[in-house]
Amino acid sequence: MHSAGRSWLLLTGFVLFYVIYLLFGALVFSSVERPVEDKLRRDVEALKHEFLNQSCVNAAALERFLLKVLAANKYGVSVLRNASAASNWDLASSMFFANTLVTTVGYGHTTPLSDTGKAFSILYALIGVPFTMLVLTACVQRIMHPLVLAPVGLLQRRGMQPRLATVLHFVLLLALIVLCFFVTPAAVFSTLEPSWSFLDGIYFCFISLCTIGLGDFVPGNQPRQKYRQLYQVSVMVYLFVGLMMMFLLLRTIHKMADLHGLTSFLQLPRCEESDLDDDRKPIVEDGHEAQTPPFITEKEASEPLEPGSQPSYNTINTG
Amino acid sequence: MVMRWKTVSAIFFLVVVYLIIGATVFKALEQPEESSQKLAILAQKLEFLAMHACVNSSELEDLVKQVVSAVRAGVNPSGNASNQTSLWDISSSFFFAGTVITTIGFGNISPHTKGGRIFCIIYALLGIPLFGFLLAGVGDQLGTIFGKGIAKVEKMIVKWKVSQTKIRVISTLIFILFGCLIFVALPVVIFKQIEGWSTLESIYFVVITLTTIGFGDFVAGGSENPEFLNYYKPVVLFWILVGLAYFAAVLSMIGDWFRVISKKTKEEVGEFRAHAAEWTANVSAEFKETRRRLSVDIYDKFQRAASIKRKLSSELGMNTALNQELTPGKRAMSTSLCEDREAYSNLTLSLSPISGGLARNGSLYLNGLSPDYADRREIAIIENLK
Repeated sequence: MHSAGRSWLLLTGFVLFYVIYLLFGALVFSSVERPVEDKLRRDVEALKHEFLNQSCVNAAALERFLLKVLAANKYGVSVLRNASAASNWDLASSMFFANTLVTTVGYGHTTPLSDTGKAFSILYALIGVPFTMLVLTACVQRIMHPLVLAPVGLLQRRGMQPRLATVLHFVLLLALIVLCFFVTPAAVFSTLEPSWSFLDGIYFCFISLCTIGLGDFVPGNQPRQKYRQLYQVSVMVYLFVGLMMMFLLLRTIHKMADLHGLTSFLQLPRCEESDLDDDRKPIVEDGHEAQTPPFITEKEASEPLEPGSQPSYNTINTG
Repeated sequence: MVMRWKTVSAIFFLVVVYLIIGATVFKALEQPEESSQKLAILAQKLEFLAMHACVNSSELEDLVKQVVSAVRAGVNPSGNASNQTSLWDISSSFFFAGTVITTIGFGNISPHTKGGRIFCIIYALLGIPLFGFLLAGVGDQLGTIFGKGIAKVEKMIVKWKVSQTKIRVISTLIFILFGCLIFVALPVVIFKQIEGWSTLESIYFVVITLTTIGFGDFVAGGSENPEFLNYYKPVVLFWILVGLAYFAAVLSMIGDWFRVISKKTKEEVGEFRAHAAEWTANVSAEFKETRRRLSVDIYDKFQRAASIKRKLSSELGMNTALNQELTPGKRAMSTSLCEDREAYSNLTLSLSPISGGLARNGSLYLNGLSPDYADRREIAIIENLK
């Protein structure tokens, strides 16, 4: 009774805190962005007036034209003269698009225009997203050992307290990841992309690796970009590896939280080791493993189905 | 260690193949549409320029460029300034903050100031884990509520005496159907009504949002509908929260199926390999056994031949006449096998009267004596002496 009541209390606490956090964010964004937006709006109005004044175009014709241009632009089709002749749907760009789909980043700079494309995207995502998450988790499981467990063990053998060792290792890992996956790529992007500053590069790296993917910055979209295909493929690889590193960080944090007793305090699921350790078992089992019915594991057969057994989508395979 | 990396690289290879397949299909589906759009808009531009002769091409381009970047910043230049709602009023900013934390990231609105972007980074860093915890909690509660309902349903089904496995499968199906009804079908109908999208577009929006992909080509509350906007967006956000928990469960189930399938395939492959290894081991053991028997046989025969040779040579040792060709000195010198063999072959020649009797068995060849065949003949003699 006590734990059930406590879990409800915790949940309400979380929801409340979440709402407050959102409100706080809303206030800050609003106060920071709104003045700039107003100014831009006034500028565009002035531009329109200026244009209309010195030409024979009437307002309605211009409106119609602009609407059409903007609709086309939403799908990545530009009307400007120096727009790149390269299609947004050649093989490399389509692969880039497929990658943003399965990693759930979803920039939106190109989106499927046809109905069939949309329907296919739905199916592709429903299959591809869990598949990708599985791959990423599997990779993280493997690199966990040399990158996390081995160094922490080394530190502990040198005589450090386990908690201190994990914290120290985590800080080092974080610094290394930030250097390799945020600072360096940001520098590279700010050189390769003409209109990006260093801050824009870091902003892009962060927004992409957290799979938010706003889409205001997308590399490789400048007109007449040299080696566009190679560029896009390398960005894809960077995103994939970076995402793996993010998952690794999450898993390390989760393990640390386990160690420090936070997960049990907040009644969150513990970090599970057993996921893909089956590979360590001998190839031929005794035969009792083969008795499990298809698609249902032993665990599920003994208790009611719990859809919430995986905590969150982001931590879905990390805990 | 080796086995594990093999599995991972196999799955990785599969993902790359999946991406390539997706790329080819998207290219085939979308490129024609894109080309026709390009042609259409170019035609529009030329028509506009033709109709309004006082506008030149570069002026128009300038205007378009500025308008496009304004729209990217969220400012819609069509219509006049008065009846425009800001994209950064409180409810829209609330919605934007929500899309950042859930990592959906539509992108129809995005911060353009330096301060806005830096704040966005810090905000996301703290907010995403927070949302993760929340999702965990909501998922748990959802699971408990659903579990209670399913328990009641199961009690009913048990009366029909269905096996445990079938009950699990049925409850999974019910979970999927029920969830789809509440979190997908119902919102699709609502979005169709309010936003005016087609059915496909609504389903597309729901799936793209709930998997947190969030392209932003369709956004609920993106169109200007002032009557609904105030309480519409928070409701949409709430739906996103609960729907995400549901989708997380579904996607984790699909992931579990993948894992079970891969495990089963691995088991089957493993069993097959074990059978193959067993068979190979059996066959090679049999070969070894045969070879061993054969070699033992030959070894035995050699031993017997050697012992009989010794007996014969000791018996005939007194008869030195047979060994005249070889002087004792030469004999003592010759220690090589072939010279001894020659001595033995002379011996066998001398045994021919005795072997005459043996010849009846037809196992002796009196002609063409040579040291090469000496051993074999010795064996044949010995065999027949038995």
